[in-house]
Amino acid sequence: MDTRTDIPAVELDGVTKEFADFTAVYELNLAIGENTFFALLGPSGCGKTTTLRMIGGFEDPTTGVIRLHGEDVTGQKPYQRPVNTVFQSYALFPHLTIFENVAFGLRRRGVEDAEVKRRVNEMLELVQLTPFIKRKPKQLSGGQQQRVALARALVNHPRVLLLDEPLGALDLKLRKEMQIELKRIQQEVGITFIHVTHDQEEAMTMADVIAVMHQGRIERMGEPTEIYEDPRTAFVAGFLGASNMMSVTVVDRGSGAVALNGGTRLHIDPSKLDGGDGTVRVGVRPEKLRIYPIDEVSLPPNVLQGTVTDASFIGVSTHYLVEADHIGEIAVVAQNLDDHHHRPGDPVKVGWLPQHCFVVA
Amino acid sequence: MTVELAPPPPGRSAAADRAETRRRRVPYLLLAPGLVWLFIFYVIPLFQLLRMALTTGNLQAGYVFDWVWENFTQVFTTYQPQLLRSLVFALATTMITLLIAYPLAYAIAFRGGRYQSLFLLLLLMPLLFPFLMRTLAWRIILADQGVVVQTLQNIGLLPSNGRLLATGWAVVAGLVYNFLPFMALPIYVSLEKIDNRLIEAANDLYSTPFTAFRKVTLPLSMPGVISGSLLTMIPAAGDYVNVELLGNPQQAMMGNVVQNKFLNIIDYPAAAAISFTLMVAIVILVLVYVRSVGTEDLVA
Ligand SMILES: Nc1ncnc2c1ncn2[C@@H]1O[C@H](COP(=O)(O)OP(=O)(O)O)[C@@H](O)[C@H]1O
Ligand SMILES: [Mg+2]
Repeated sequence: MDTRTDIPAVELDGVTKEFADFTAVYELNLAIGENTFFALLGPSGCGKTTTLRMIGGFEDPTTGVIRLHGEDVTGQKPYQRPVNTVFQSYALFPHLTIFENVAFGLRRRGVEDAEVKRRVNEMLELVQLTPFIKRKPKQLSGGQQQRVALARALVNHPRVLLLDEPLGALDLKLRKEMQIELKRIQQEVGITFIHVTHDQEEAMTMADVIAVMHQGRIERMGEPTEIYEDPRTAFVAGFLGASNMMSVTVVDRGSGAVALNGGTRLHIDPSKLDGGDGTVRVGVRPEKLRIYPIDEVSLPPNVLQGTVTDASFIGVSTHYLVEADHIGEIAVVAQNLDDHHHRPGDPVKVGWLPQHCFVVA
Repeated sequence: MTVELAPPPPGRSAAADRAETRRRRVPYLLLAPGLVWLFIFYVIPLFQLLRMALTTGNLQAGYVFDWVWENFTQVFTTYQPQLLRSLVFALATTMITLLIAYPLAYAIAFRGGRYQSLFLLLLLMPLLFPFLMRTLAWRIILADQGVVVQTLQNIGLLPSNGRLLATGWAVVAGLVYNFLPFMALPIYVSLEKIDNRLIEAANDLYSTPFTAFRKVTLPLSMPGVISGSLLTMIPAAGDYVNVELLGNPQQAMMGNVVQNKFLNIIDYPAAAAISFTLMVAIVILVLVYVRSVGTEDLVA
């Protein structure tokens, strides 16, 4: 995006948050670019909310500096920051109408009445809530309340919008719709969204950049495809989807040749081998594997031999479990392209390309 | 049980209708005991009170019901000062109690931390001692030779011969003291219910702590303020013990008149008329108060 500047919209510099008996966020360094849809992804309790609350000004970091568009805001109160939040449980004001909920921020900043009216109506139109303007929050469904919370924050034109699991309370179908909706709104208003979620699919769907958090630290950060294809740690690999992990010994670092326990040679992208020496752990995602009849001759460079133990056909694909020598069970997701349906007990070959392997620390 | 495979008949079955009727009857059946209670112990006595107010006669000669309205007119003539004093004292008591109780309840709810229950217990502790004893204690506190009067005299807030006991101040002080828990408790309950995230949301939307209080906390605590006010204002308007123990006849309230008529003079018709009028006056006072304090934004 050409509107991005060099100064990050949000910058965390060595931010640590200690509670009485617990360090929730540890030495966090983070720079989020302008107009980015940024997802903070991690399991429950890893410190996502705490990080978000520090950016919003609801918690002060124990150490470290927080900058918004280059300006140090550490220690500033929430109402002094050009940031708005969509809270986990929406936190709509129960005593105010939908209109007044959305108008709340504008009124506090002394925007004149006609302008408040215009902007609130415009925003309610954007989130398709115009018919509910006079209702109280309790009279709306979960999805509608969620959109009020979004409108209430966005109407202020914040430079950064913080969203704490905003879709967590919605059912699956609505969640999928809102994911697309949120992404559309973000592109329309063109501001930085920091979206906290524990749902990796949600993060992948919406985010330009994902940071995977684990026990108060960011383990991996990058574009969705980049971190999915090369997760770098076992935790990230597992959190972002299924993968087959195996221990191998490096045979030739230059060509990327490695060997399994039983001696079987495999090949991986040599650039991924940089740090590792001796024994390394490599992984490959189930959908990257192809399954072949045992007598197949045109095979990719990496091949394992084994026996099908389970095959489940689920329409778009077939999920196989193959008991391979020296490794154990490996999962294969095969697209239903050809007529080969392998049954449990069939001897098969499983193959993949070297570039589809990743190495984890 | 058999399984019905045929489509349901058009319209509703007789069984469904019966079930529906039964379902509609349930709320009335549940209400019935309460309604009977209210009728026997509230509506009938109220009616009797009104009837008594319209009779003449005395205990020895018996009472004759003959639609005399004099008992009512004397309330507004002879006892007008007492009636007004009752309402003014009740209103003053409510205001002062509110001013003390709100910050108190706020502090317990938001700053009490893990000592909340202890503070609540302390707040309610006086109620464990008899009402009469607590009120009598105020005679000692406000006594002419007591610390309070002496101090006020020393700093010049009270003339050197000034006193507190047997004044309207003492009566109001006693009322405020006695009703404080009844004001503070409902306010505490409504404040305690407020989700802290609402206040954070207000802060997020450019409210300073004070604005957040004015726009979120205060409106959300209004139900507590109103119920606390009612629990204070209504009994305060009918109170007579505080005047008896802390005031003098010059501060007599309607309650004292009623007590006197019922128990000393044994003039039941007058006592009934005064009681009835006082009740109506309190209802009007309460309605005016609730309308001026409460807004349509009130939430349950
Ligand atoms: N106010 C607090 N006091 C003590 N511990 C806290 C507090 N807030 C959060 N924590 C702890 O910090 C950790 C991270 O919490 P949080 O940021 O809410 O996680 P997440 O949003 O990723 O689920 C949790 O273990 C939580 O128990
Ligand atoms: Mg959280």
